Amino acid sequence: MTAQEIQKVFFILLEYLVPTLKVFGFTLLFSIPLGMVVALLKMCKFKPVSWLTNVYILIMRGTPLMLQVIVAYYAIPMLRMNENLPGAVSGLLEKINIQGDGFMFKAVLFAFVMNYAAYFAEIFRGGIESIPKGQYEAAAALSFTKTQTFFRIVLPQVVKRVVPASSNEIITLVKDTSLANVVAYAEITLKAKQQMQNYSSLMPLFIAGGFYFVLAMILTVATSLIEKKLNYYK
Amino acid sequence: MKASIFKRILTGMVAGSLLLVSFGCDSKENTSSTAGEDTSLQKVLDSGKLILGLDATFKPMGYTDENDQIVGFDIDVAEEVCKRMKVELVKQPINWETKEEDLKVGRIDCIWNGMSVNPSRAEEMNLSEPYMCNEMVFVVPASSEAKSMNDLKDKVIGVQNGSTAQDILKASEIGTTITEQAMATNIEALQQMELGLVDVVFLDSVVANYEITSAGKDYVVLPDGLEEEEYAIGFRKNDQKLRDEVQKILSEMKKDGTLGEISTKWFGSDVTTVK
Repeated sequence: MTAQEIQKVFFILLEYLVPTLKVFGFTLLFSIPLGMVVALLKMCKFKPVSWLTNVYILIMRGTPLMLQVIVAYYAIPMLRMNENLPGAVSGLLEKINIQGDGFMFKAVLFAFVMNYAAYFAEIFRGGIESIPKGQYEAAAALSFTKTQTFFRIVLPQVVKRVVPASSNEIITLVKDTSLANVVAYAEITLKAKQQMQNYSSLMPLFIAGGFYFVLAMILTVATSLIEKKLNYYK
Repeated sequence: MKASIFKRILTGMVAGSLLLVSFGCDSKENTSSTAGEDTSLQKVLDSGKLILGLDATFKPMGYTDENDQIVGFDIDVAEEVCKRMKVELVKQPINWETKEEDLKVGRIDCIWNGMSVNPSRAEEMNLSEPYMCNEMVFVVPASSEAKSMNDLKDKVIGVQNGSTAQDILKASEIGTTITEQAMATNIEALQQMELGLVDVVFLDSVVANYEITSAGKDYVVLPDGLEEEEYAIGFRKNDQKLRDEVQKILSEMKKDGTLGEISTKWFGSDVTTVK
């Protein structure tokens, strides 16, 4: 490929950085709070809730994300074709427009959020459980309520402890966004693959690799800054 | 507060498990939803658009060009068909491995991307009459010592995974004497051949010829190909009227020379087999 062609591919891929970042950003936005909730549910004293959460985490971590994206994407269209559904449900499903990019994005996002929430949940649970029991007892002795203990004492320490493990996940997530191309979601990897065919060359794939590398680098710097910032008391 | 969070989580979980269950049901035979009338053509005319599914990487049939536009022989023909139907053509990129699902669930109206006819596809879809012939050929680097099919014994042959080429190769006599290496795309296979990872690539003559003449690659097509096959357009099993309409327009285009013109633009001559 000539320099000019490489430049052309670069600009096409640059354009599709937006959909890649959209999946990345929204996944983080939703999966971190959801992960927190899942972590709390898993530690719930009411056992059935804890078991159910375990099953959810087991499925999400135990099956490939690529498969989950496909399931999320085809579930509603396939459900619509099922004739044994009650009228109310099928009427509701008929209203969903399965053609077009909006539906595709939501399906992809759903799969990513559900998957990453499971991973984040385990990280957060580890963080919460690493807080010594003595702190809870001390808080109780100082007549803090349970909610106060959690939000004022435990959570601030948990945040500090989960940052390194979370940044690992976040960097993985940038690269995982490429899995969205299994349902032909137009992002960097899909476009690189198309240009690869156009030029009969592997070069577009390397350019795409460059994009992910730069993104990961930026995130590495950002997360280490956050880590430093949270490094008070040390 | 707490209760509402709980409720939300539970609904989420129920929704999640519902999704999983529905996917599990997929293996059940999908009964035809249009037991009565065939409204396929009317639906397209009413919505004013025909959604064409393609993987947008099959050069020169339907692919993404350097300006990120989907072009190709199939696309030009489809544009003309849509013009005559007075509807808009929507080009929807899909993943080739899941094309049957996309068609079945209604994400697309047809698969039109140099799709080879084979028995299972004829079973799954309502195919148009074949519109083009294609031969499966062996391609070697110009420097290779292999000059005919007889020289291919014990060679490593690259082939596109999930393609009809792969099936043909497996079923053929020569298939037992070679090592097959399946790759995601034909271009990757050719790339690997250039790097020496495979000795030969088995692929569509349409692609091979295009690569040699237009992309100027230093390949040689071995004289004896394995099997003739045909390209057709795939519609949903029940969409007979839509299929017939497209077929009718294709025949008209063949008669008035438009199809020949488009073919000449891409292949240098009229290679279409529409009657």
